[in-house]
Amino acid sequence: MASPARLTRATPARHLLRSTFRPQTPKTRPYHSYETPQPSPYPPTESAILSSALSHVPNHGFTTESLRLGARDAGYLDASTNLFPRGAFDLVQYHLVTRRLALKDAVQFPEKLGVGAKVRCLALERLRANREVIHRWQEALALMAQPTYIPASIAELARLADEIWFLAGDTSVDTSWYTKRASLSAVYSAAEVFMTQDQSSDFKDTERFLDSRLEDLKAVGTAVGSVGEWVEFTGHSFVNLARSKGVRI
Amino acid sequence: MSTFSPAVRRQLLQGARLAARQGPYRCFSSSVRHAEQPATKAPQPEDNPPRTTHFGFETVSESLKESRVGAVFSSVASSYDTMNDLMSLGIHRLWKDHFVRSLNPGTNPLTSSTSAPAQGWNILDIAGGTGDIAFRMLDHASNIHNDYMTRVTVADINSDMLAEGRKRSLGTSYAKGDRLKFVEANAEKLDMIPSNSVDLYTVAFGIRNFTNKDTALREAFRVLKPGGVFACLEFSKVNNGLFNEVYKRWSFGAIPLIGQLVAGDRASYQYLVESIEKFPSQEEFRDMIKDAGFVVPGKGWEDLTGGIAAIHKGVKPVERA
Repeated sequence: MASPARLTRATPARHLLRSTFRPQTPKTRPYHSYETPQPSPYPPTESAILSSALSHVPNHGFTTESLRLGARDAGYLDASTNLFPRGAFDLVQYHLVTRRLALKDAVQFPEKLGVGAKVRCLALERLRANREVIHRWQEALALMAQPTYIPASIAELARLADEIWFLAGDTSVDTSWYTKRASLSAVYSAAEVFMTQDQSSDFKDTERFLDSRLEDLKAVGTAVGSVGEWVEFTGHSFVNLARSKGVRI
Repeated sequence: MSTFSPAVRRQLLQGARLAARQGPYRCFSSSVRHAEQPATKAPQPEDNPPRTTHFGFETVSESLKESRVGAVFSSVASSYDTMNDLMSLGIHRLWKDHFVRSLNPGTNPLTSSTSAPAQGWNILDIAGGTGDIAFRMLDHASNIHNDYMTRVTVADINSDMLAEGRKRSLGTSYAKGDRLKFVEANAEKLDMIPSNSVDLYTVAFGIRNFTNKDTALREAFRVLKPGGVFACLEFSKVNNGLFNEVYKRWSFGAIPLIGQLVAGDRASYQYLVESIEKFPSQEEFRDMIKDAGFVVPGKGWEDLTGGIAAIHKGVKPVERA
């Protein structure tokens, strides 16, 4: 008499167990996959207004005026720009984010290209993406330099440097992970400022500027490496000398 | 008892008498505790009221809340500004200025493209009887954007507050023009406002007193044009524990007292602080706005002065064909 009762009590528990092990298909996956497309960082309403606002930037700059015109183009009202509490900076950030995400589809590498050459290629491509708005870019830099927006701007720069090193196929997992990203951030932001003043055709000067900065980086990297080698060698010799004199090390 | 001297006995008796009179005895420090006790004198007009809502910490039937809120605001209308200044130490002006500045109402007719004829914004200011927000918005549109087309309809359920606003509008340049209009209306039933006609719907320190907040939000959604903005400035929840303690002391201890001393009306200001306490938190109210169909920018609100007040915004989405 007792066993059927126990059985019926056991069944729901088994059901529960099975359901927990059944593969689930959640909307957002907890893992990253290169194959699955990443969701857009902006909701559809915001990206509709911001992308049409971006087309007004060459004429009206990174201003709330561009935002208003963009909202009108997208079928919204002037009042709808209240969706963007940070005003023009939201427009700048949208430009930064979308250009960064577009980078991975913008560059095709030939076989047998070193990591350094790939980084140069990617950085140049990202600089070229500013071509349309370069005469207004100083406005964007001024907005990014405002104390309120500095953290967001630095974070975006760091994400760009990370994206470039990642797409270049860098796999370092030591302190150079940090130094690489920091130095590329410095080089890239310097090149961006240089580009706002560039009068040459097709930004030849900016390209040269970027190359020489990357050369500098390589030289510094080599120097740091040589110093390290010298320190190691001298240290070893010193220890050996001490040992030969009878010091027990 | 016989061991006590007559003087001690008299003292003990006095203490007992005092304890019996505990009801009306309210000193400054006991008002917090008093406010936290559920009020017992909630009037119950029927045995089984169909639907109830809260009036401060009291529970009253929905039909009664409107009239009781009406009574509160009729009684505070004349001293509204003085009281606001005293209670918020003048900060309410900064909040209102910031609210209007962040909304940035008005379109400059010169810089806007010629394709759209400059019509200005059609703004509906709900529960704005005294015109605080309305005058600021008109000033902003005229002075910042040189927009002399933007117009504001001030709606309030309370005729005393509207009368106060009309009186104050005489001191501005908008009294004679057609940019400012006063309407007596219930925010839950805006029949005189056509659907899809409003650019900006504002409600500053008003939605707390509505009987049905959801109905009012849906009504706001109806009257707004696609792309129109719902903006609400309201008391909210303080997010720092220590600051919250100080703030609660101030609101339950000092505000009813100031009301009693300055406006001669303790009950109305007791209701005020209780209704603030009853208002949903930032997240809950944001979700109510979303449920009404609005798209909210970012996290959906902006805290002012550590969360004492918050600005909530929502945009009515444009439906794609």
